[in-house]
Amino acid sequence: MSAMLLNKDQWSAFVGKLAGEKKVWAPVKRGDIMRFEPLEEGAVPSLDFANTTVPPKTVVFPQTETLYRYRIGQAELAVPVLEGEAVLLGVRPCDARAMSIVQKLFRWDVDDPYYLKRREAATLVGLACSAPGTNCFCTSVGGGPASTEGLDLLMTDLGESYLLEALTDKGKALLEAAQDLLQEAPAGAVQEKEKVVGAAEKAIARSVDTTGIPQGLPGLWEHPLWQRTAAGCLGCGTCTFLCPTCHCFDIQDEVEGFEGRRCRMWDSCMFAEYTLHASGHNPRPTRRERTRNRINHKYNYFVQKFDVIACVGCGRCVNLCPVNIDLVEILRQVKEAL
Amino acid sequence: MDLEKLRKTAAEIVSRDDVKYLIGWRPGSFGYRVSPCFVQDAAGAEELIFSPLCASNLATYLTLVEKLPVPRGEEPDRRKVALLVKGCDSRAVVQLLVEKGIEREQVILVGLPCRGVVDLNLLQQKYPEGLEKGELSWQEGGFQLIRNGETATIPREEILAEKCRLCRYPNPVLSDVTIGDPVEPWETEADRGVEELEQKSVEERWDYWEEQFSKCIRCYSCRNACPLCYCDDCILDRLNPIWINRAVNFSENTAFHLARAFHLGGRCAECGECERACPMNIPLGKLNRKLAKEVREKYGYEAGVDPEAKPFLASYNPNDPEEFIL
Repeated sequence: MSAMLLNKDQWSAFVGKLAGEKKVWAPVKRGDIMRFEPLEEGAVPSLDFANTTVPPKTVVFPQTETLYRYRIGQAELAVPVLEGEAVLLGVRPCDARAMSIVQKLFRWDVDDPYYLKRREAATLVGLACSAPGTNCFCTSVGGGPASTEGLDLLMTDLGESYLLEALTDKGKALLEAAQDLLQEAPAGAVQEKEKVVGAAEKAIARSVDTTGIPQGLPGLWEHPLWQRTAAGCLGCGTCTFLCPTCHCFDIQDEVEGFEGRRCRMWDSCMFAEYTLHASGHNPRPTRRERTRNRINHKYNYFVQKFDVIACVGCGRCVNLCPVNIDLVEILRQVKEAL
Repeated sequence: MDLEKLRKTAAEIVSRDDVKYLIGWRPGSFGYRVSPCFVQDAAGAEELIFSPLCASNLATYLTLVEKLPVPRGEEPDRRKVALLVKGCDSRAVVQLLVEKGIEREQVILVGLPCRGVVDLNLLQQKYPEGLEKGELSWQEGGFQLIRNGETATIPREEILAEKCRLCRYPNPVLSDVTIGDPVEPWETEADRGVEELEQKSVEERWDYWEEQFSKCIRCYSCRNACPLCYCDDCILDRLNPIWINRAVNFSENTAFHLARAFHLGGRCAECGECERACPMNIPLGKLNRKLAKEVREKYGYEAGVDPEAKPFLASYNPNDPEEFIL
């Protein structure tokens, strides 16, 4: 029960089966953009995409999350009950890897109950890449088109059918639940998958040689490349909000009359008020320091602390930047300056 | 486009002692992308390009620059900034001058008559973007794409940006030097996007914007890309008090978008940067153009065309309609 075949004719039945048991999140197209949304009854998600516009991190790390509600003058706090188990269908391997990487932070000095509970309740059904996007560079940062890290089940498109490989007990349970729709994968199926994955790997055209970058970045603190890069930056939050590994948040109180809630929401190191001190001092007063921080956080600080680069090479920041600030190009310049 | 003349002019400008840099476009890192570039010396001017891919409005960088306090004993850098401007870009500069957001002596404008830029999304749909760079140029009736040594001709209406379909100012309204001959303004189409919305009922319009604003992730790329969103102290960045909650939901998103649109009433230069920058494809141009249309039709005022004009909301005309006063 670890490698099964799902004929594509059975795709909608398979989705229906999953949806019958758990809440299913899947990529939904809205106009030109694609994001993970709870699947409506009877809907069949399309898996025809290179990468969703918004990464699936939103499911386990919502952009705005209520930590608790309160009433001014009363001591009781109402902590919201988190939703039950969920299946994320069609997660790209890079986005799943990102969740494993981010989890290291949420498990660090204090366990973050909100993140970890949601993550625990989620079963990740991955979709191996057969046609990588223009700016994909996962193979340069430890991933690959069929990387299994963080996934419970991996699907690979073999043309007529999907190969389903269970990677964890959660994945096995899903296969068991849908077993009347599946057939045992023939011996050749795994070789066929290797072929698809191999071709996808070859199709990845962008690359970064990361050796020496984490160690070298501190020495480039005052290098002109930061000013050069930041000059054209608009200082918006597109690159960070749509990054699957960016996880910075702010905590704010929202009060209406006597009713209040404390909530956390995504924050972006590219914003001017990020880490603005109460005194009015800002340790990163201009976009030069903020740009430098974005790169250092991913390729230096996170590596020092958790021994892994906090970038999975999904290419979203490169694709979506309105002024062509290109992470791969920045890293090339870093490498050159080492 | 006479690129040689553009580069030569730019090189001369940046060689002057009273010029800090020139802001222009250069080829981007991949595909059809174009980067803003800050030319400091004559050699840097060789990178400059002007093509139908140069959609971004560089006037944004005039007000986006962050000024740190000047150390004691040092003089602030008062050198001029030179800027390449298309028609719509120059309107933004004019509006900045009208609002005294910048001083005329601070800027040198290199005007570029423009035959219309392309909508990147439309181009990508027709010719999917790869890593290899594509060069686009104007030709009779449309555009020419050169990629991988192959040439393709694309009819103008297929990929022209919406803002350009509606453009009435293809030539810079203000410039110190102009490169190339003026462009004959084209017959503009009706603003179908705005008209369609106007014909909808209030409920339908509400539903439309609910769907659009619900997509918003509040990255503020629309605000930051806008050359006329330049408040030093933006209400969105205020933490005490918080005027618009950071929470992302339809209610707060709508509060943000209404504030953004209303702050641009009678000010928008219709350069389309907000919509171009939006990663979630929210049609912000429709909101801006509707407001501009109201101001134009009711008050006969158009933003960013006359440097001597008074700001719309700071001017009074006894003949202004006042049917909204009960």
